[in-house]
Amino acid sequence: MAYYLGLVQLIGIHTLLGLSAYVLMLTGQLSLGQAGFFAIGAYSAGILTVIFELPVLPALLAGALIAAFFAFLVGFPALRVKGLMLVVATIAFSEFVRLFFFNLSWRVPRGDISVGPDSTNGFREIRYFVANGWSAFEITAFVWIFVILVMALLWWADRSRAGAVLRAVGEDELAAQSVGINLTAVKVAAMTAGGFIAGIGGALYAHTATYIDHLTFTVLLATFAIAYPILGGLSSVFGTLVAVIFIQGVLVEGLRFLGDWRNIVFGLLIIAAMNLKPSGLFDAPTARMLKRAVGLDGRG
Amino acid sequence: MSDFWFEFVEITQTVGDGLLFGATYALIGIGFTLIFGAMGKLNMTYAGASLAGAYAGLAAFTFVNAPALVVFLVSALASGFIGFVVYVACFRFIPVNNHLAALMASIGALFFIDEIVIHATDGSPLTFPAMFEYVMFDLGPYGIRGDLLFVFVVCVVSTAGLVYVLYRSRLGLATRAVSQQDVAARLCGIDVHRTNAITFVLAGLLGGIAGSMTAAAVGVLSPLVTIPLTVKGLIVTVIGGLGSIPGAIVAGLLVGGLENVFLYFRGVNERDMYVLLLLFVFLVFRPHGISGTAIDRD
Repeated sequence: MAYYLGLVQLIGIHTLLGLSAYVLMLTGQLSLGQAGFFAIGAYSAGILTVIFELPVLPALLAGALIAAFFAFLVGFPALRVKGLMLVVATIAFSEFVRLFFFNLSWRVPRGDISVGPDSTNGFREIRYFVANGWSAFEITAFVWIFVILVMALLWWADRSRAGAVLRAVGEDELAAQSVGINLTAVKVAAMTAGGFIAGIGGALYAHTATYIDHLTFTVLLATFAIAYPILGGLSSVFGTLVAVIFIQGVLVEGLRFLGDWRNIVFGLLIIAAMNLKPSGLFDAPTARMLKRAVGLDGRG
Repeated sequence: MSDFWFEFVEITQTVGDGLLFGATYALIGIGFTLIFGAMGKLNMTYAGASLAGAYAGLAAFTFVNAPALVVFLVSALASGFIGFVVYVACFRFIPVNNHLAALMASIGALFFIDEIVIHATDGSPLTFPAMFEYVMFDLGPYGIRGDLLFVFVVCVVSTAGLVYVLYRSRLGLATRAVSQQDVAARLCGIDVHRTNAITFVLAGLLGGIAGSMTAAAVGVLSPLVTIPLTVKGLIVTVIGGLGSIPGAIVAGLLVGGLENVFLYFRGVNERDMYVLLLLFVFLVFRPHGISGTAIDRD
């Protein structure tokens, strides 16, 4: 049971990671830096609960805000370039963050041991949930409260003017600009929101995993982050959720019998998926077909 | 005063070594930029394929005790072959205007290649044989490492070879035509897919040389190098200006030289952080790279 709850937590956290890339992709920007914001959220929140002994909720919000702040900072120079250049810039940022935490050593004495990030040895003592006697079920509920909150917010935003503006920029920048939309403001706002969401995900990850090190936050994690919305499509937030359940729940768990070979198959699956369905597994025609199949189709 | 003089010699020495080693970065950058110029797409597998080529060379050395020249040749050919396979798997059948799908597919291929290397070597670093005697040329207070000089010369020669092919052969003419205007090229009877495949093979050959040169100069091959080399290659490409070969050369040497300066002052663990910051310095002050013209297409 605890194992499945762990999986449910992981799915929730990866949904947040995927949604952070989803917001940005609505504006037509692709970022391979979400792992960096995730790492900033994870380390900041971990440091706040372990070294400053804050409760988890303020630590989590602070971690998300710090991640959002860095996303805001990166947004300005990175968004002067677009398309593939932005991909390179965000990879570079993410690797920079990873190397920063690789070098970060901040140990403080606590009783007869010392706690805190210990550069290459990782950050091992993020035991807030254990120390306060949270049950696995309570932790899972805590994670999913944030997932549901973020999804509801994004779902609502998509039905408001904000969502229309984001999508307008994603569809056609020139057209968006000529109806008076400030491109830079929209893109930086999307980047900041993405950083905030990734920061929440990272903070939750640090506290559920209790141990983080720089190797958690590699380009592979950033690839997962963009793979979810690409597979799930950009028509709604639920696509990302379905993609996370599909990849983490079905593929990663289902292929466990392959052992070490799983990662090789994973690479091949990405190649195959992109060749067969270049616009995502749940692209518009497929989504319409599925809706028709389950009788949800209103207008076609 | 003599302390200052000593330190000055140390620093210029370290910059010189970096410049020589930077030639390999220039080669990797040229590979990325070549494919970007031809198709307007990023081939994320490139550095991984180059190192896989170096592994093939190492295998030739380990199993049949091939001489140095054959080792480098095998590296280049293997990497060129991987380049072709990557083109077919990740670019050939994906719609031309879908950059995202091609990018994702090539990232998938990067993981695939990396995992195969990890499986074949159990993930542990392997020693790359020293291909030449240890030679040191003395130049006043400076010394030039023979192996670094060799790496530099090989990189210069292969770049010159590439430039010759691009600008003096029918093949190069076709490649440049496709990169400028692929519809017009097609109307002139150029087979775009064939030309793109050849570009991938050419870039792969260069990459194999760069990979085996890096391995020979460092002395170790490890799967841990793939991502840092990919990132550095991308940085060189962006700093040089996407699609510009001279830019990539200058940027490669710049990154190589500065990297050693950071190494000298800040140590090996922090070195790469400053290289990454360098990219952001360029993004702020010169977002289109050193050669700022070839960029309008993206």
